[in-house]
Amino acid sequence: MSETVSLHGKRPRVIIIGLASCFGCQLQITNMEPHLLELLDQIDLVHWQLASSDPLPEAFDIAVVEGAVTTKEALETLRKVRRRASAVITIGACAATAGIPGMASRDFDDQVESVYGAEVPVAAGSLVRPMAVSAVIPVDWEVRCCPIDPADFMMALQRFLTGSNRLAPTATLCGECKRNERGCFYGRGQLCLGLVTRSGCGARCPNLGRPCNGCAGVSPDANVAAARVLAEEAGVPAQRFDVALQLFNATNEDVCPSGAR
Amino acid sequence: MLYRVIDDQELPALVEAFMEDYEVIAPVRSGASYAFHHVDSFDQIELDYTTTITSLKKYVLPPKETLFTFDADANEVTDFSLTVRPRVIFGAHACDINALNSLDLVFEDSRYRDPYYEARREGLLIVGISCSPTETCFCHLMEADEARTGYDLFLQDIGGRYLVSIGSVTGANVLESACNPREATDEDRIAFRQATRKRQDSFNKDIPDVQEIAMLMDAFHSDPFWDELGSRCLACTACSSVCPTCYCFDIADVLDADGRTGRRERVWDACTSPQFAMVTGGHNFRDSNRNRVRHRMYHKLNGFLATHDRMLCTGCGRCVRACKAHISPIEVLKFFEEKGA
Repeated sequence: MSETVSLHGKRPRVIIIGLASCFGCQLQITNMEPHLLELLDQIDLVHWQLASSDPLPEAFDIAVVEGAVTTKEALETLRKVRRRASAVITIGACAATAGIPGMASRDFDDQVESVYGAEVPVAAGSLVRPMAVSAVIPVDWEVRCCPIDPADFMMALQRFLTGSNRLAPTATLCGECKRNERGCFYGRGQLCLGLVTRSGCGARCPNLGRPCNGCAGVSPDANVAAARVLAEEAGVPAQRFDVALQLFNATNEDVCPSGAR
Repeated sequence: MLYRVIDDQELPALVEAFMEDYEVIAPVRSGASYAFHHVDSFDQIELDYTTTITSLKKYVLPPKETLFTFDADANEVTDFSLTVRPRVIFGAHACDINALNSLDLVFEDSRYRDPYYEARREGLLIVGISCSPTETCFCHLMEADEARTGYDLFLQDIGGRYLVSIGSVTGANVLESACNPREATDEDRIAFRQATRKRQDSFNKDIPDVQEIAMLMDAFHSDPFWDELGSRCLACTACSSVCPTCYCFDIADVLDADGRTGRRERVWDACTSPQFAMVTGGHNFRDSNRNRVRHRMYHKLNGFLATHDRMLCTGCGRCVRACKAHISPIEVLKFFEEKGA
């Protein structure tokens, strides 16, 4: 159950910041052109990193965070954000699961060296093993997927404007996919991560003829062990399945155990 | 029941006659399978289809529907109104007609009438068609291989012609206006007997015919079988998405972008969804795949029978195809057979 942000009749002050990411999810917000003015009508957007080089404001109500944590500076920023904000919303796969930056968590030191050599440039910051935002601070709501659906972002904001007891779904994707009346990639020798990926997106990639690459992250109720066996039965080696899972779940110990790193 | 015979060349005219006053929904190709879909001409229809990915349920209980809209600022709800386009389902198999009949028992129960369902159902005509079982069909074991009620016309393919059962005045009128229905001859009746016998003999014999299924569900309620089945479940709810008789739903309010107005939506839900039986405070009454899978099978093969005197499962075989984990009522029947039932 999400608490409504206490506003005393004022519009909530919102900040939007980006950590390690492609900034695509922030761009998605600008892509909601038909509704952008309606959105800005309901909030007081006091800081948007994409459009400003000003420092983080001292006071705000809702913090919207994109991207994974990859530096000590990001850790500091998040702690500061959490102390000041009543609600923290993350947007995108990088923030929710460490996403693409999370792939560097495997053999992290070697990866850093292969990119930067012996000395990491100052501009890169003090690197730490990539993490999801929720691994650092409590998060009130996660808008998932790569990139986000702007409508989901809208609903996330509204949770804190009006209150909502809706849960993030934990059923996996195939049920939504079947509602689209699509056939299955398994049986055609193709790998699809819908078997274990959290539903909620409406299975839009499979609906466009592309297998799910798991950008919503593995569901906490997923049955990865069974899915691996079924993939194997369908002619997709379990190892291929494991490798595919690393794209968006590399820092999830249950899914990609560090023993395998 | 009235019976007449028409030639197969008369089918296009029959479909066109329906098109004058109804939207025609029929089985069409969808990838490697089939789907019920709006059609504009007879040529699009695949009358010898095997089975569709999802069922006819979507036409009476849409995956997502608005129940009403509201103005949150004014704290007002608009009056419910639903404009239903009259439709005809052309080419429903017996199992799916029986599935709709089961849904009627739920949504048209006089104690809890559902105006949304009723409006859609009232505007729906059904033209059934005979079929040949696929390897995943077991409707005959669920007593759903014959549609005794619930159709306006039912077309029995008797080779180059159809024995048409007439189930309603509307159906009779359209048939009369579009075709030249004739009285059945002895030859037609013999052909009909042969066709039904051939269908009866074509069912997959590896699917065991088990008696007293509902009773056995109770008798083996705590068997380790359910642990094994649950251990395979992927918690995806594909089974209920494709099921013609899974009718559970969730209701949620959705705000428009302005944050002032919004709508109340009904969306399909599923007892195999991990959060389905979670209540306020976080307790989950069915907190494992084992309990959820077992619960679903119970409703299909036991619970509905107790209240409505018919199996909720129609043996259509859609979940058999949809479940990547090979969990289906067939597995349950096989388990009972292994137990000596």
